[in-house]
Amino acid sequence: MWLPLVGLILGVTLGLLSDIQIPAVYGNYLSIAILAALDSLFGGVRAHLQQIYDDKIFVSGFFFNIALAAGLAFLGVHLGVDLYLAAIFAFGVRLFQNIAIIRRIMLTRWAERNKKSDTKASE
Amino acid sequence: MRNQLKFSIVLLVVGFMVALQYKTMQKPKERDTRDMWAIRHELATEKQLHSQLLTEIRDLDETIRKYESLDDENTEKVLMETVDKLYEQAGMTDIEGPGLVIEVGPSPESIAIGNTISAISPELLTRFVNQINRAGWTALEIDGKRYTTLSSIRDINGYTTVNGENITSPPFIIKLISNTFADSEKMYNTLLASTIHDDFYLDDLILTVGKPQKNVNIRGWKERYKNTELHELPKGE
Repeated sequence: MWLPLVGLILGVTLGLLSDIQIPAVYGNYLSIAILAALDSLFGGVRAHLQQIYDDKIFVSGFFFNIALAAGLAFLGVHLGVDLYLAAIFAFGVRLFQNIAIIRRIMLTRWAERNKKSDTKASE
Repeated sequence: MRNQLKFSIVLLVVGFMVALQYKTMQKPKERDTRDMWAIRHELATEKQLHSQLLTEIRDLDETIRKYESLDDENTEKVLMETVDKLYEQAGMTDIEGPGLVIEVGPSPESIAIGNTISAISPELLTRFVNQINRAGWTALEIDGKRYTTLSSIRDINGYTTVNGENITSPPFIIKLISNTFADSEKMYNTLLASTIHDDFYLDDLILTVGKPQKNVNIRGWKERYKNTELHELPKGE
């Protein structure tokens, strides 16, 4: 449990300490990539909770989604169509869905645990 | 464990990206990139402002001192002096001093070719006024129209006007007065070296800058201000 947390903290520290500045032109791509990453991340958590987690799917999905989102945004800029909106929409909707499913699973588990402790107490 | 490691790596990447985006979003603070000379230049400007303000304070102090030292007989005199001074500042009085007389005329080439001489454009005139603003003047007259801080150069129905009065087609005369004769000479040299001549030449006009003169007369602004907002209060007795 603590290892992913360490990874996150390490990533944030690295990002804050490093002296990399993304040019304003590419800021769009990065924000979409972050959205894609978050989407994959929550998808992974949901899959884990539903016990259908497959790390090949997760890792490949993570990097592929990021690349696809950035690529779509890039293509959109060159075609003059705001294609990044498509990525934002798709990822945004999925993000909310995933979080909702995670919430429900958590609630169910919590309710079950409560029930168990109740029956234990009554016994 | 392997899963956790992969998950951690993914989280590391996410964290890194989020931190980068966060840092990019925080607008970088404006860096002071001025070098020594730019700072010196700014210091000089500020010093100039300082001395100008000091001069103004001295003037006002003088006025206060006068007001304080008066007895009733003199009050009116000092007040009239102040009013006169204000009239002078507003450009309503005739003024005489060292200055330049500049003639704007058609260029010889345009005469030779037979071009129609058109009036000076408001843009060019504004540019010229801006150019001489840089050198500094105390009074300016464009084709007999006194130019003050309240004056405007506009195109009205195709005619270039100053203070709403038409400017005659060239040749006409622009007179300006500066504080001292040295200032006039400086202005003369500035104008001689200026690229404004090219701008005039593009409009088939040439600018003939006369040598600095000791005495140039400029008339006051004929029109009085229309005072619609200020009213005299009844005496509070």
